[in-house]
Amino acid sequence: MTVGLTRSEHGSYDLDELMIIEAARHIRNGDVVMVGTGLPMVATTLAMKTHAPELVAVIESGPIDPIIMQTPISVSDPRAMHEAARLGSLREVLGCVLQRGLVDIGFIGGAQIDQFGNINSTVIGDYRSPKVRLPGSGGANDIACHARRLLIIVSHEKRRFPLKCDYVTSPGYLNGPGARQRAGLKVLTPTITVVTNLVVMETDAETGLFCVTKLMPGVDLDAVYGNTGFRPGVASTLEEVAPPSDRDLETLREEVDPDGVYVKRGKSH
Amino acid sequence: MGLREAVGRFVFDGAVVGLGGQNIGRCAMATVHEIIRQGKRDLTLVGCNLSISMDLLVGADLVRRCEGGSGNLERFGSTFCWRRKVQSGEIEMEDFSHLGMVSRFLAGEMGLPFMPTKSLLGSDILVHKAPSTVKKYEIIENPWNPGEAVVLLPALNPDVSIIHVQKSDSMGNVIIGGFTTHEPEMVRASRNTIVTCEEIIESRQIRSDPERTTLPHIYISAVVHQPWGAHPTSTYRYYDFDAEHLRFYQECARAGGEQVKAYLDRFVFGSESFQDYLEKVGGKERLLQLEKAMKRLCASKGENP
Repeated sequence: MTVGLTRSEHGSYDLDELMIIEAARHIRNGDVVMVGTGLPMVATTLAMKTHAPELVAVIESGPIDPIIMQTPISVSDPRAMHEAARLGSLREVLGCVLQRGLVDIGFIGGAQIDQFGNINSTVIGDYRSPKVRLPGSGGANDIACHARRLLIIVSHEKRRFPLKCDYVTSPGYLNGPGARQRAGLKVLTPTITVVTNLVVMETDAETGLFCVTKLMPGVDLDAVYGNTGFRPGVASTLEEVAPPSDRDLETLREEVDPDGVYVKRGKSH
Repeated sequence: MGLREAVGRFVFDGAVVGLGGQNIGRCAMATVHEIIRQGKRDLTLVGCNLSISMDLLVGADLVRRCEGGSGNLERFGSTFCWRRKVQSGEIEMEDFSHLGMVSRFLAGEMGLPFMPTKSLLGSDILVHKAPSTVKKYEIIENPWNPGEAVVLLPALNPDVSIIHVQKSDSMGNVIIGGFTTHEPEMVRASRNTIVTCEEIIESRQIRSDPERTTLPHIYISAVVHQPWGAHPTSTYRYYDFDAEHLRFYQECARAGGEQVKAYLDRFVFGSESFQDYLEKVGGKERLLQLEKAMKRLCASKGENP
């Protein structure tokens, strides 16, 4: 699906940008955020430079509470290491911070997300004879098991939102309510929020299913249904995602993604 | 000991090899080149994130099996040789999460048979296993909390691990700068470890400030002074990753076949040593650019590079 342009009072922005800005808004100042590579790193960098300067980023290769000036392109990028409170190890971060229960938000992407918030980053097709072999869990399974809140940012395409994942790399609500508890997971009802360029969806702790809580400006529910392999519920208080502030847009364009690596330039400005 | 002798002595056909580094940071590339030149085969590669060091060995047809948490080069894309051969069934991949893998090294380094974790539960990582894996995991009931499931993962003790670090003395007292990923656990679990380093420092420097030692010499089998030994990946405080060469490698790896062979012929088999390779990728001029890029990163934070 191609993303349309939307006019704000202050000029134009596109929904890829608003997706990053909206995802950043879900991080509160002071949250301990376990950050994965790619768009999660972009949105976390933006949050740190705007409303959440005291967010504590933890990165699986070892950095604990770095100050991120330039957006790191990898969890092993030196850009993720400067002025950290500590440069530790993977065991320290994934074990002593995450599994220990100290992470507020796990922030990741994923190739497929199904109706129960399960995530696949391992394989498209059959595991034994894959159509496409993907990287695998990395720290994502650990994050989905142990973070109290899970924030997922992906560009909205139908193939990314199947009814059921080809392979469950990282557990959401598995096959429904109570399944996480039966499996033995410690966090029983995580809040799973997906932010895309069309919509914000959040899992309902009772049913384990996604509900649409916000629509991007200019996007209607039919567009969401047409681009999603399952039919999400709709929150009684359905809102529109607030447009970006000048500060958000400027910070994103000039500081976080100055070279247009994550949001292609020239479409809208 | 030189790298040729170290690899000849500690890496053998069929070995389980622990790979240090992660993604675009501190992969032990010089040692990987030497393993390829010596044609050590039927290797099982283990680590957390398996990156370009793994992909190059797979591209050289020296790998039978991988065990890890992920295979990729992040923004630079998949590890294409690995992806192609996992898809075709030519090599097998045993999947764990990163915490799962480091828990296995943790058991190994403490002389224990297994380690519990609360990750993986409910996921398909516990549903599927690689064909030659006998037993991947066990789920037990927590003896102190009846009814609670706990996953046990088997200890992993590599035959030999290869890491590239910032500093070591000639005995093998190692200082790792920046993130350490899974390396401390993996190295302490390994029967042998080959270290390449940017700088050899005096032992008295280690011993006057021993709390900075990441790994003491008792775990290290060979130390080789190999500046730029992680190229094209980065070494924190020394040089940034070489995006241009990474992209070039990725083009070859993605194309596969002749292009992978051509890459290996030109850069690995066609090089006597890693020094030759470094000349081919741009020599001093290029390397200084990468060094400057890292200095800029460090200086912008008021750090001492």
